[in-house]
Amino acid sequence: MKQYLKNTWEGLYTVIVGMKITFKHLFTPSVTIQYPEVKIPLPERSRNRLYVNIDDCIGCDQCARACPVGCIEIETVKSVPGEDLGKTSNDKKKALWVTKFDIDIAKCCFCSLCVYPCPTECIKMTDIYEYSEFERNNLVYSFSALTKEEAGEKKLNLEKFNAEKEAAKMKQAAPEPEKKQDKNEKESE
Amino acid sequence: MFDIIFYLFAFITIGSALIVVTARNIIYSAFSLMLTLFGVSGIYALLGADFLAVVQIMVYVGGILVLILFGVMLTNKITNVEIKSGNRNIAVSLISVSVLSAILFSVLLGTNWKETNSQIPETTLFGIGELLITKYVLVFELLGILLLIALIGAATIARKEE
Amino acid sequence: MYEYLVNILFSVTGNQFLAQASVMILIAALPLFVVILPYALAAVLAERKVSAFMQDRIGPNRTGYRGLFQTLADILKLIQKEDIINSEADKKLFNISPLLVFAGSYAAFAAIPFSGMFIGTNAEVGIFFILAISSLVVAGILMGGWASNNKYSLLGAMRSAAQIISYEIPTALVILSIVMLTGTLSLNTISELQTAYFWNWNIFGGAAEGFKQFILIPFMIAGFIILYISTLAEVNRVPFDIPEAESELVSGFHTEYSGMKFAMFFLAEYANMFAVSAIIATVFFGGYQSPFGYLGNTLNFPLLIPFEQFFWFMIKGLFFVFVQMWLRWTLPRLRVDQLMTVCWKYLIPYAFINLIIIGIISLL
Repeated sequence: MKQYLKNTWEGLYTVIVGMKITFKHLFTPSVTIQYPEVKIPLPERSRNRLYVNIDDCIGCDQCARACPVGCIEIETVKSVPGEDLGKTSNDKKKALWVTKFDIDIAKCCFCSLCVYPCPTECIKMTDIYEYSEFERNNLVYSFSALTKEEAGEKKLNLEKFNAEKEAAKMKQAAPEPEKKQDKNEKESE
Repeated sequence: MFDIIFYLFAFITIGSALIVVTARNIIYSAFSLMLTLFGVSGIYALLGADFLAVVQIMVYVGGILVLILFGVMLTNKITNVEIKSGNRNIAVSLISVSVLSAILFSVLLGTNWKETNSQIPETTLFGIGELLITKYVLVFELLGILLLIALIGAATIARKEE
Repeated sequence: MYEYLVNILFSVTGNQFLAQASVMILIAALPLFVVILPYALAAVLAERKVSAFMQDRIGPNRTGYRGLFQTLADILKLIQKEDIINSEADKKLFNISPLLVFAGSYAAFAAIPFSGMFIGTNAEVGIFFILAISSLVVAGILMGGWASNNKYSLLGAMRSAAQIISYEIPTALVILSIVMLTGTLSLNTISELQTAYFWNWNIFGGAAEGFKQFILIPFMIAGFIILYISTLAEVNRVPFDIPEAESELVSGFHTEYSGMKFAMFFLAEYANMFAVSAIIATVFFGGYQSPFGYLGNTLNFPLLIPFEQFFWFMIKGLFFVFVQMWLRWTLPRLRVDQLMTVCWKYLIPYAFINLIIIGIISLL
């Protein structure tokens, strides 16, 4: 009997305790964040979308080699003497036209391994993380400052220059095999 | 106005009673029985027996019908409904039913029906209450005891002694 | 009100039958359009908002100002939905069941006094009628559960029926004690007896005078708690929602229903919630009576009183609906055996003792 009354009392009492708690929560401000309008500030060293400051890029290809998933694709064309490519922000002379600098961000695993080797600190992580697309192709970001035509032009320039050089060498009747190889390499890339 | 409602209830009662008898699926019979009882209760209400009408719903629809449904649902295989009711001994039942209805009909015609005004009658509630605790108090109490005995008996039978 | 309207219509149309029929249909349809539909719209939203606030969330806030039109959007969605009947279902019973359930819960509104003027039927058997007609819901639920031909539906229906029938006993016992005290079954009369100020409400001893009123108070509160718990179980709300128990039975007896048929069950559930809250408000908390007297009396403008009464009635009813929601987000679901234990071992004995004590006090 005592147990019975105790059970009854406990049943009622605990319900009231629970109701008190939920009633308190009725008036506590919600913890929900209205995401597209309100965003949580990202931590300082958060890794998100990659960005390449192409003006600083010297086309050294170190980031592409560091990438564990191979999402960076770089193509470069040697500059012709007389062309001035300018300097990077930390005073390094640029010697290559970067004709192609593609990052397939869909493949990127945000490891940040490409950021460390960059001698000019031109590839870095930004705080942008909303870049979903309807098509996978749109996730391949192209950072090269040159258009396709310009890239083609640079290539032609180099070929022309090489050909002239070759011709000059031919005149001297002393061709250098090294150069040829070099050129071939470029083309095969 | 009341005539139309009466015929509506009468139609519901008789129509669903027909389904109760003829339906092959016993679940249909059970649910039509509910409609029948409901129609009867509606006629009670129209006759001014408000308490009786509600008791009809409470006891038959709420109690007995749910009991029947439980019985039907628990005793047949849920996935494979095989409970069917059929017609047997049609000739015998036809004779007995016609005799019975003939008797009822003769009584119906032979009775002197009292005619009253078809006004909305006063509630019967207080009259029933008073009669139950004055004139019929013994019967009432005995019924109560009977129900209590039935309840205790059911509990005793259902209980597993260990 | 009925005769008044009939007289008006009779003088307009000159046809007694037409006037009577149209007024009857009007009165029958009135609670649906004035009370149940707007209430259900608001209550569905309120349920989601209350649940959100209690869990420190925001809740629906995209449709309209702070999500005010969420329910309307939901209804539009439900109307557009395909009406799916699974091929093994018993089609006739499957289609009738939602109607029956809704009719059962809607019929209860016939005897609920919304105000002194606005009451479907002032029949002397009011509360008894409500208790009886709710058994129609049981039959409808059983029908739906069986016709779905789904084990979860049938289990849910069986549980629901067992639960509603069990909990009808403490409900009836508590209401019986009030009936003994007031000497009437009519909800309208019960409300009228608790007129004037809130200390005349049944929860504070009702209209009994002197020390009798003070003795009654604890038993009235006990009766209120028992009635609240058992009616909560009768409408299958948490913590007594084992018929629906989404974690074990998908969603109980309406698992197979979709579209508007599901909406009917939903509407019936919300209508039921309000019906039992209204009963509690009427039986214990003065029904449509204002707790502080009427503005219409002070301003000497009696036409205002029915509207005030309606207002107070809705406030009281909606408050208890809110408490139902509050409990839903407070308590976990009971097990089946706990459910039966609560009913048969705790509520019924207490209700019975309460009934006897209130009977003795009323005889004093």
